[in-house]
Amino acid sequence: MIAALAALALLSLAAAIFLGVADIPMGDVAAVLTGAGSAEARLIILDIRLPRIATGILAGIHFSLAGYLLQTITRNPLADPSLMGVSQGATLSVTIFLLFTVYIFEPGSNTLAELPVAWLPAAGLAGGLLAGGVIYLLAFRLGLSALRITLCGVAVGAVLHAVAIGLIAGWGSARIEIILEWLSGSLYARSWDHALFLLPFTIACLAMLPVIHRPLMLLQFDAPVARSFGLGYRRQFSIVLIVSCALAASAVGAVGPIVFVGLIVPHLARFLAGRNFRLSLVLTIVLGAVIVTLGDLIGRLLGQAEEIPIGVVTAVFGVPLLLALLRKTM
Amino acid sequence: MSPRQSFLAIGLIVVAAMLAAMLGLLVGAKTLSVETAIRVLLAPDGKLESVLIWTLRLPRSLAAAAGGAGLAVSGYVLQTLTRNPLADPGITGVTAGSVAPIVCCFVFVPWLSPAYYPFIGLAGGLAAASVTFWVSRGGQGRPLQLALGGVSVSLFLGAITTYVLLLTGPQSASLLFWLAGGFQGRTWSHLLYMLPWTIAGVVGALLLRRVIGMFMLSDHAAAGMGLQLGLWKPLILILAVIPVAGVAPIAGPVAFVGLAAPHIARLLKPRGTGWEIGLSAALGALIVTVADVFARSIAIPRELPVGIVTALFGGPIFIYLVQRGRLSLAGEMR
Repeated sequence: MIAALAALALLSLAAAIFLGVADIPMGDVAAVLTGAGSAEARLIILDIRLPRIATGILAGIHFSLAGYLLQTITRNPLADPSLMGVSQGATLSVTIFLLFTVYIFEPGSNTLAELPVAWLPAAGLAGGLLAGGVIYLLAFRLGLSALRITLCGVAVGAVLHAVAIGLIAGWGSARIEIILEWLSGSLYARSWDHALFLLPFTIACLAMLPVIHRPLMLLQFDAPVARSFGLGYRRQFSIVLIVSCALAASAVGAVGPIVFVGLIVPHLARFLAGRNFRLSLVLTIVLGAVIVTLGDLIGRLLGQAEEIPIGVVTAVFGVPLLLALLRKTM
Repeated sequence: MSPRQSFLAIGLIVVAAMLAAMLGLLVGAKTLSVETAIRVLLAPDGKLESVLIWTLRLPRSLAAAAGGAGLAVSGYVLQTLTRNPLADPGITGVTAGSVAPIVCCFVFVPWLSPAYYPFIGLAGGLAAASVTFWVSRGGQGRPLQLALGGVSVSLFLGAITTYVLLLTGPQSASLLFWLAGGFQGRTWSHLLYMLPWTIAGVVGALLLRRVIGMFMLSDHAAAGMGLQLGLWKPLILILAVIPVAGVAPIAGPVAFVGLAAPHIARLLKPRGTGWEIGLSAALGALIVTVADVFARSIAIPRELPVGIVTALFGGPIFIYLVQRGRLSLAGEMR
């Protein structure tokens, strides 16, 4: 299983580097990777494809791990950053940021050139964390009941989403296209900056995994059962929730809401790993990276000039799989 | 509540909705006085005020009321059919299923007459609901299974809708406003176009109240009482989608009404399914009418989409209901 998975990961990585809309011969790509190659090939591989792949891998890990953590602590297969309001919070704050910087900094201007795009991830992060905070407060007021937390997450998410769409519809004007593109979850034009923005979060959260691994296993159970194992339920619940929100919010900030990865990858991982908890965690991380990489490659190749956003690709492939899994396992 | 009290409650809510609609006639980019409104309503002339009320504000208010009633009844039927307090046109994917194919037709088959949109909406909504039902074993699985299936279907269709919007470029702005849910610029023809579907949904639900009520028990009990499940389940599902098919082409998705109105109606504890349906419809009409008035008077001359307003008010109410543990159907949540 591990070998097959590693092979799959390497294969998808290689495919993502070697294939693309710009037709570069294999030999040239290999030359670029070893430090040689033409200037044009170097530009395409090193400055366009690689940063895009790196951002995709990190975002994939973020989404799938965030979904896995949320699903475990809420004991709820519905839990996903995009269902618990975190993605919508990030979406709303990015929308506000995109729409109202124009009014603040350059009233009357319709050009997109001066847009402080570099701040987008930060805006997304802030909004996602804020939404996570709301869910967190509600969760404790509701006594950590899985069903109620999910209901509230869905409600908060729906409200934030409606407000975001309303703002775009009412004030979007020249920004609508750029917001829509971001909204559909896309890796288009992602640079090393995006990958570097995500990296500290990835490292910090992965480093937390050994610490939260045992509590996480116990958080699968009811609060009384978990407490009888000596778990500080509320504290551990909070820690996992914070880690999960940080992962999801930073990823939404960088690449937009790629919805289905956080929902489906953990299901897939548990399906493959059975009752092996540690294996399912590892599978979640690897499959998250693989699926986003492959999804982005498919979107790049299928759409050609007008590429299909990764969010659309994951939805088209993810939903039938999820529905089948859902019917089979529940 | 006794039937008499229920009747009274429905009457009060309808009067409140009418008052809200009257208020809606007065406010807008040009504010009118009550006397002017009444004079023009009784004796329309060709002047600006008359045009404003008769061609813009009145049909719009009526469309909001009809749309609200339709969505609420749809939510009620879905919740009862699945015995799931979460069910509503939004969460079961019915709304997204109606909206997505309409967007696609608008963009890719622009020569297609909008007269077909409700039928497309009906087909799409039914298809989406069928998938959700298939996943949750006819709605008989756990509540979360239904919700998970429905939300997945919605996300799937939402992703496609966003992509289609991306492809359309300049047109996306108007489509987006429609997608945010609202009644801006809706005329008599829009209303007439929606009304048969809404009326069919509400009247159908009232006529079939006994069948719908039986689903509140369990499949076993319903079958034991002589209900042919194989026949009635699909029929009731179609009944639930019919009003949404009418509302979706006109107003886009208006969130939370189908969820909130039936719950509020049940909180009033009317005796009997028919009264619950009536109360839900009246409450739905009231909620959307008020939301519409609010949406166009809060930021004059700009308008908010009604979808935002219902979400902003519906969300907290919903969360409050969850917090108080009041969110239950027939007394328990499985």
